[in-house]
Amino acid sequence: MAISFDKVNYTYQPNTPFESRALFDIDLDVADGSFTALVGHTGSGKSTLLQHLNALLLPTSGTVTVGETVIKPDSKAKAIKPVRQKVGVVFQFPETQLFDETVLKDVAFGPQNFGVSKEDAQTIAREKLNLVGISDELFERSPFELSGGQMRRVAIAGILAMNPSVLVLDEPTAGLDPKARIDMMRLFETIHASGVTTILVTHLMDDVADYADTMYVLEKGRIVKSGKPQDLFQDVDFMTAHQLGVPKATRFALLLRARGQYFEHLPITRSALVEMITEAANHG
Amino acid sequence: MDKLIIGRYIPGSSIIHRLDPRSKLLAMFAFVFIIFLANDAIGYGILTIFTFLGVGLSRIKLSYFLKGLRPMLGLILFTVIFQMLFTTGGEVLFQIWFLKITSYSLQNAFFIFMRFVLIIFMSTLLTLTTPPLTLADGIETGLAPLKKIKVPVHEIGLMLSISLRFIPTLMDDTTMIMNAQKSRGMDFGEGNLVQKVKSVIPILIPLFVSSFRRADDLAIAMESRGYQGGEGRSKYRILKWQRSDTLLLLSLVIVTAILVAWNMMK
Repeated sequence: MAISFDKVNYTYQPNTPFESRALFDIDLDVADGSFTALVGHTGSGKSTLLQHLNALLLPTSGTVTVGETVIKPDSKAKAIKPVRQKVGVVFQFPETQLFDETVLKDVAFGPQNFGVSKEDAQTIAREKLNLVGISDELFERSPFELSGGQMRRVAIAGILAMNPSVLVLDEPTAGLDPKARIDMMRLFETIHASGVTTILVTHLMDDVADYADTMYVLEKGRIVKSGKPQDLFQDVDFMTAHQLGVPKATRFALLLRARGQYFEHLPITRSALVEMITEAANHG
Repeated sequence: MDKLIIGRYIPGSSIIHRLDPRSKLLAMFAFVFIIFLANDAIGYGILTIFTFLGVGLSRIKLSYFLKGLRPMLGLILFTVIFQMLFTTGGEVLFQIWFLKITSYSLQNAFFIFMRFVLIIFMSTLLTLTTPPLTLADGIETGLAPLKKIKVPVHEIGLMLSISLRFIPTLMDDTTMIMNAQKSRGMDFGEGNLVQKVKSVIPILIPLFVSSFRRADDLAIAMESRGYQGGEGRSKYRILKWQRSDTLLLLSLVIVTAILVAWNMMK
């Protein structure tokens, strides 16, 4: 499902001394089936923008179109509720949202809120828990007895259980060890491959390079650059100047280039780097 | 969450902002008693002028004070209506069955209303112009004499500043958890009472869990930095009594004197 922002502005606490403008004329298009990355610093407006994706915040001006639904500054709660089911948001540290007695009940909470019967919700919950790699013997445990990594998986299953068409991920791997991080990203890749439009908010450029097909750079509430990652990462100076950096493979290629290795364009993933080096070796 | 004005500090540099928290606290406390000295229109008039003088000097928009009134409106209306219906004496203006509205009851209701409004304005003035931590400092030093009778003043002060410090954090946590549950299709404030109470559970449990974790983290952080309260501990913020503080207390004494004199003259 596609999402598009048209001249979206957002101001926190308007008409008070605490007034602060967080988003300025945001135009953004997330194509159906795409894997879009949203990068920017803390305070760049990432989380504000993210809350517009499922209408937790309504724009102060402008419109957000999610599938068929148009979200306007004066949209009513009833009209936006279906959006919450279609766009599943995995917040940062999602394990903080767990509350129910058992893992299974917690995961079934989402679909039940959208009118799915208890039995059906639990069937979906089982399926999604298995998908994220939680084994059956943990289903009847309290979510608070699980390890941190397991809790995060359960929380993610809780979002997947709503069968969203768009999955929004806010730094989903923060605080995980390297192996758990890779497993987690592979999981999202599988989900994306099954046709779920994915939006990833991150500051890990390697993840952007490895998984995303479109990226937006956000700074001080404005979109300063957008396009394909392989094109954006060519402008190393821009990415460094905005303190975002470039993927490891690109950095490696830059070092090689400094030592005289020729690159027609910079690789952004490890496999592209390997390919370019072998090709150069074969021809050189 | 953003609409709560009680207990909110608005930064500024007015004369009221610069007053010592101890004098402001003392004045606020005294004002609650002084207000009982007023028992007619002139008395309330004097206190109203005094209150609005403070409001004016703080250079904070009146709308903030009115917003501070809003959460108390139910209580005020209840008391006012109660007074209106059950005060006896005076000329009967209006009567349905056993309920009478008399000139006395109207007057009384109005005075009660003014009493509420003035006290709320004054306390709003205190919290709007004093940073919460400074206020906690003020309370701690204000209570210092009680140390002699073994009241754990420092601990009370610490508890106070920690709770004040964590109000914004807890509010952020609440907003975050509410957003997460709303994203899972939770509706707030809809349906019947049972549904409404039920909808609190998915917020409250995660909030408790995160509060306990935070408390634990804070305790560890304090201990690892060798925290030890009470005796011999120096302070980062040092309170300074200025001439304006003496003037504030003096003005209160004058207002009290005027009210007492007026009451005796009648």
